[in-house]
Amino acid sequence: MKNSYIKITLIIFLLFNATSCDKDFLEEPKATTGISPDIVFASEDGINAYMSGIIRYIRTVWSSVDSSGLNAMYYARSVKGNDVINKATWYRWDYANDYREASSTRSRFTWNMSYIIIDETNYLIQGAESATEIGDDYRTQIIAQAKAIRAFFYFQLAMEFQHTYTYDASLPAPPLYKEPASNTGPKGMSTLHEMYSFILEDLIFATENLTTDRISRSYINVNVANGMLARVYQTMHNWTGAEAAAIKAYGGDSNSVLFPEQYNNGFDDIVESNEWLWGAIQTDDQNQGWTGAPHVIADHNVLSYYGTYFNNDFVNLFSDTDVRKLFNNKYNASENNFWHWVTSKFAFSFEADIPLMRTAEMLLIDAEAKYHNGNTTDAHNVLFALQSNRDPNAIKSSNTGQDLLDEILVERRKELYAEMGVEWFDAKRYRKGITRTGNHRIGAPASLTPDDKRFFLKIPQAEIDSNEFIDESVNKDR
Amino acid sequence: MYEIKRFDQKHIGKFLTKKNELTSKLKIMNKKLFRNYSIPSKVKTLASIAFLFLFLSVVQLYGNTIQEREISGKITDTNGISLPGVSIAIRGTTKGVQSDFEGNYSIKASTGQQLIFTYIGMKAINIIIDSSSTINIKMEESSENLDEVVVVAYGKQSKKSIVGSVVVVGEEIIKKQNATTITTAIQGSVPGVTMIASGGQPGANPTIRIRGIGSISGSASPLFIVDGAPYNGNINVFSADQIASITVLKDASSTALYGSRAANGVILITTKQGKRNTSPRVTIKSTVGLSNQAITPHKTLNTDQQFTASWEALRNTGLYVNGEDAATSANNATTGLLDFLRYNPYGPTVTEPVDSNGNLVSSTKLWETDWRDVFFNDSAIRKEHSLSVSGGSENTTIFLSANYLNQEGSIKTSNFERITTRLNLNTNVNKWFSAGLGVSYSTSKQNTPIQSGTSTESATNWAWKISSIYPLYQRDENGAIMLDALGNRISDYGSRASQAINGQRPFSPNQNAYSQLFVNDSKNTRDDITLNGNFKIAFSDNLNFTTRLSHTNFLYDSFGYYSSEFGSAVGTKGSVTQTRDAYITTNLTNSLNYSKNFGNHNIAASLMQEAYKYKNKNLSATGIGFLPNSKTLTNSTTPEDVSGYDVETRIESYLGRLTYNYKNKYFLEGSYRRDGTTRFSSENRWGNFFSVGGSWVISDEPFLENSEILNYFKLKASYGELGNSDGIGNFPYITSFLAGYNEGDQTGVLLAFPNDPNITWEKTASFNAGLDFGLFNSALKGTVEYYNRESIDLFYNVPTPASTGATSFTTNAGSLRNYGLEISLDSKNVSNKNFEWTSSFNISFGKNEILELTQKQFISGTKRWEVGKSLYEFYIREYAGVDIDTGEALWYADILDTEGEPTGERETTNDFGDATRYDTGKSSLPKFYGGFTNYLRFGNFDMNILLNYSFGSYIYDTSYASLMHSYGSAGTAASIDLLDRWQQPGDITNVPRLLNSNNNYNSTSDRFLFKNDYVRLKAVNIGYNLPTTALSNYGITGLRLFLQGDNLATFQSHKGIDPEQSLSGTTNQRALNQRTYSFGVNLEF
Repeated sequence: MKNSYIKITLIIFLLFNATSCDKDFLEEPKATTGISPDIVFASEDGINAYMSGIIRYIRTVWSSVDSSGLNAMYYARSVKGNDVINKATWYRWDYANDYREASSTRSRFTWNMSYIIIDETNYLIQGAESATEIGDDYRTQIIAQAKAIRAFFYFQLAMEFQHTYTYDASLPAPPLYKEPASNTGPKGMSTLHEMYSFILEDLIFATENLTTDRISRSYINVNVANGMLARVYQTMHNWTGAEAAAIKAYGGDSNSVLFPEQYNNGFDDIVESNEWLWGAIQTDDQNQGWTGAPHVIADHNVLSYYGTYFNNDFVNLFSDTDVRKLFNNKYNASENNFWHWVTSKFAFSFEADIPLMRTAEMLLIDAEAKYHNGNTTDAHNVLFALQSNRDPNAIKSSNTGQDLLDEILVERRKELYAEMGVEWFDAKRYRKGITRTGNHRIGAPASLTPDDKRFFLKIPQAEIDSNEFIDESVNKDR
Repeated sequence: MYEIKRFDQKHIGKFLTKKNELTSKLKIMNKKLFRNYSIPSKVKTLASIAFLFLFLSVVQLYGNTIQEREISGKITDTNGISLPGVSIAIRGTTKGVQSDFEGNYSIKASTGQQLIFTYIGMKAINIIIDSSSTINIKMEESSENLDEVVVVAYGKQSKKSIVGSVVVVGEEIIKKQNATTITTAIQGSVPGVTMIASGGQPGANPTIRIRGIGSISGSASPLFIVDGAPYNGNINVFSADQIASITVLKDASSTALYGSRAANGVILITTKQGKRNTSPRVTIKSTVGLSNQAITPHKTLNTDQQFTASWEALRNTGLYVNGEDAATSANNATTGLLDFLRYNPYGPTVTEPVDSNGNLVSSTKLWETDWRDVFFNDSAIRKEHSLSVSGGSENTTIFLSANYLNQEGSIKTSNFERITTRLNLNTNVNKWFSAGLGVSYSTSKQNTPIQSGTSTESATNWAWKISSIYPLYQRDENGAIMLDALGNRISDYGSRASQAINGQRPFSPNQNAYSQLFVNDSKNTRDDITLNGNFKIAFSDNLNFTTRLSHTNFLYDSFGYYSSEFGSAVGTKGSVTQTRDAYITTNLTNSLNYSKNFGNHNIAASLMQEAYKYKNKNLSATGIGFLPNSKTLTNSTTPEDVSGYDVETRIESYLGRLTYNYKNKYFLEGSYRRDGTTRFSSENRWGNFFSVGGSWVISDEPFLENSEILNYFKLKASYGELGNSDGIGNFPYITSFLAGYNEGDQTGVLLAFPNDPNITWEKTASFNAGLDFGLFNSALKGTVEYYNRESIDLFYNVPTPASTGATSFTTNAGSLRNYGLEISLDSKNVSNKNFEWTSSFNISFGKNEILELTQKQFISGTKRWEVGKSLYEFYIREYAGVDIDTGEALWYADILDTEGEPTGERETTNDFGDATRYDTGKSSLPKFYGGFTNYLRFGNFDMNILLNYSFGSYIYDTSYASLMHSYGSAGTAASIDLLDRWQQPGDITNVPRLLNSNNNYNSTSDRFLFKNDYVRLKAVNIGYNLPTTALSNYGITGLRLFLQGDNLATFQSHKGIDPEQSLSGTTNQRALNQRTYSFGVNLEF
């Protein structure tokens, strides 16, 4: 009898247990690691967070040392010229001007990272336009900021994937998405003309609507937007526009925006670097780690890749009293060795901030534009404002015509070396070519002829394979 | 009870006294407990019930003894060899005993009762007891091990009744290898299982794929079930000596009951249990061994050759690239050589080690470092000791075991140390109630220095690639060893800018991977606690109810320390990253089982319900800024990073299985499972999975019944549809903003790549057909099976144009097919009292085919995925040799017509970028593979030899490619094959010129794609069993001495790397597999 009772009790208990699976059993676990779009667009704080995410992504660690952040695009351009020599380490293929295939990481990185940022800005713009919980002033400001970023990366794509604008604006350019791709689906190639029109539209909107306010100097304000616009006009040879934008970017008063005593501070601290209009601000816990070019490649004093050296011919351009002459023969190398000169311009640490745009560049755009606008005197003045600031013994230029332009371009190289690929940028937009001289590790084979195809990259194979509107022919004759 | 016999006479009295005392005490307790016991009205956990009943049953272990006559005898096989472990039961009772080591048994029974003798592989014998008290038995082998019971999904089945594809790796296979990670024991013994060992880190798990690769972006790994419960920890927590069997379920009919997780096969691991009616048996096993490297890596140039080759590379660059004349380029190479290599092992007197003719000036050296000798541990010690106690009374069984393992890895400092303990208890409380509990705890420590990849701190990257011209310890400009203030040698980190010679190493400056083995830490600790309880209520002979509750708490702690004094973290004064993951799995299964025979019709049915919870709780922190030798997170100056999350997956399931057979000749089986999972949105989370199968034992038909040749013949076929939901995260259907993109003090978020909100299971339709046969009185047995698995709606990160801002969209798309043939044969070649020889052989053929993609094709690494091709076929450039005039490497390129389409003609090009990639028709998957085992016994000696093999696959040897550089960068070790390089116009060779400037000579092409056939002597076990007669005086029932060898020899078509690298056939500079020689003792009493 006793057994029967136990048996029955157990049966009841077990059947109860077997059939009483909690209704919420499958509803309870929630995704805890993401944030829903409703939250993001429901407040200014939310949209600010989205903008901050985009700003952070500009200095993302995308895949490897030579493909991380906007600064990697810049530095890859730096090593393509004649001034910088790169050891056989990261960026070696850029240095050889041989890193442009459809399957090359360089092509994929430049393409993918730019488009990721573009789509995020598109999504932000769309969300901000329809957000109901934000003020209209804020709405305009944040959209203007997003448009500036969008235009800036379309400008990078236009430069990296085609001849320069003035070569032939009707040439195919990368696809142009004016709204989130989730609305439109993939698109085919655009033209340089369409792309530059859209870039200008965005940047003009940004320059007209942004103020000088911003959260930090890693964000975009009206000065940065003007600086971007100045570079675009420079490329399009719109010299009136370039002059106006450059002046708006630096403010027009050369005395108040140049700080020569900061040139040798290691280029690693945006707070101590008043010339920086825009920079990637790195901290202990938010940084690119071992991928922070140029610092991680160029610094020979702390552990880094020890990759950056300088052409004797370039070093010889500097006078000894120039504050920018930060070269030394660290390895006691003989003159014909490529590792003869290294620079102390960049001090690497994980916290090293990275310059993205400086007032000195804007001054030089101003001078260059004034030259093209026929205003030689003012061009001399603006140029000398910079030269005398950098070198107390500088002598004011008396050059005219091409000589003056060449002097301005040399000044750009001396001022901006290893920062943004100035030499490549100038050679490309002036359709000049770059001839390797001096003690290069790879000399003549890496020289670029005017309008050399190696000034631009092939369209990534992955895009061709997955985009129904782009086929193999896009890389024909590229 | 026969156990008494096993004690020395003088102890018996004592034992009996003690036992009687104990029995009476326990009987009192027993009564009291029953009097006071009633089922609590609210039982909160099943486990507590299980525990309680267990306790009660232990009490019952000392049950009553009935005074009856003693029957005894000896059991042998037809050769007269005694059979230990034969079960002897009395029909109609629960009483039974087992024969001892010498085949003797003794059981108390009365005249007229029937004794049943059963033993695996032997025909059962029934004897009715007459007046005699001695019954000697000679057992015959059964034609087929048909009565053998194997563990299958949610239960056990006899071998004969299985309609699908199930392979058991039993204890006898497991114990003849050093299976540090138990799954390695499957290799070579189960057809259809592809296994790739993971290198020389002990405790690392092999890659396992069952019947091909059934997923693209999801997980294609099998599901692991341990003692009936899904296991989510690391499979390396188990020790081989505690495993009774590993069952591999391959087809749908055997796996369908695991429904949504079964698509890639299931591996059931069953731990040992005690046997009923056996006295406690203690087994002590101890093995000690030494390991070195299983293969010899690629040979490299010595220091002298490195110098002359580097000279030649510099000269060639001047001559062919920079346009210098011969004399200038040679001179520059001579003067620039030390500037290039930076170290001078020839000493300060030799300022230009290579003259302008390219000849060495001196070959006297201050050092020449054998870096492989530095890194490789060629006398790695492996120790394993275990102790287990196993036994059982009439109603209760117990298995208790502890195992200790300590194994050093192939790279110095790499190791694995583990302690595993397990207790399995089972009891029949009474006729209708039984319960069991398994408790295990495993803890391990593992040091895992970086031993793959190209990190500048990777031990293997160094071992493969650094040239012998660099010293291990600091040398001054004159090459003399430098000492620190304490007189110790200083590891050379190669970054002393002040020292022009012997101070600045171009290869990995500021690193010394050897020193970093000791100053850095990379430690994993794992703790696994599993409780697995069950009870079963038999409502009647035909109906029972079983509940199983299991809970595993697996804690994984990974600790990484980078030194504050040396290497990459000097700038941050050291860094510590510690990550702790708890993986908590709870699984509850209730099942109602019914079986009944209606004459010749036999039916069995089960209904089950299952609830599964799997939680991952993660916490990770990084701190920087440490004092030397201080490695605790809390001592950091700057806490750098903190992250953590809790995620959970749950599955709710309803299952059913119905089996029917007629006359044990025609078998039909169907199973069904309905799963609901949290992995998918509420609209898509329920899925149905099923299988049907049948078999026909033709040999039981009258026309074959008396066949002399074909004594067993069975046809079987099954079909089913299964699912897979692993490998794409916990909430793959949600596209959300990702946190973590903070900018300064601003919170930052970004929109993630889009996912399909309607994503759901991968589905695999699996068909299996096969036959089992036995020939010549089962001297030759075998199985042949054909399978076809089609996997559709694969989890697929569909490549999307990157211009859309996302490179992939995760959804269900694409379809794959895996099909093949598996054959296994077992033969009994010789069998008599003094000599026995058995062989087993298996071979598997398998193919992988893409049936559907979302785009025509796309490139995935070295492969191009295209409909109709395999996922694993190499698609790379084709090497066209060396230009005889220039020494440049050439590749093939298609000649294009004006439309840009290939004309079909090919040309050679020296521009790698212009070269065309081709379908090579060569796959990284083998055409066939398998294993071959031979067991030989001569008297008391035995030997087991296990070979595994693989043919028809190709491997892209990146390691070799990286040794076939042309001195573009300084100080990298190079293959001796560079001696065959092109040196001057007219040279006919396959190795391009040396060149110290960027080139693509060793870029990815079929130049480094090699046939990868191999046969490996995976395990050899030679043992001697001491005669039991010699041992019994010492109370010992068995003593075995054995030699064990693992990976003793490898015969391979491409030498220099281990043949087992990766499914995709690419290499990653991984540590070499270990070859192990061990000696062991196995003692039972």
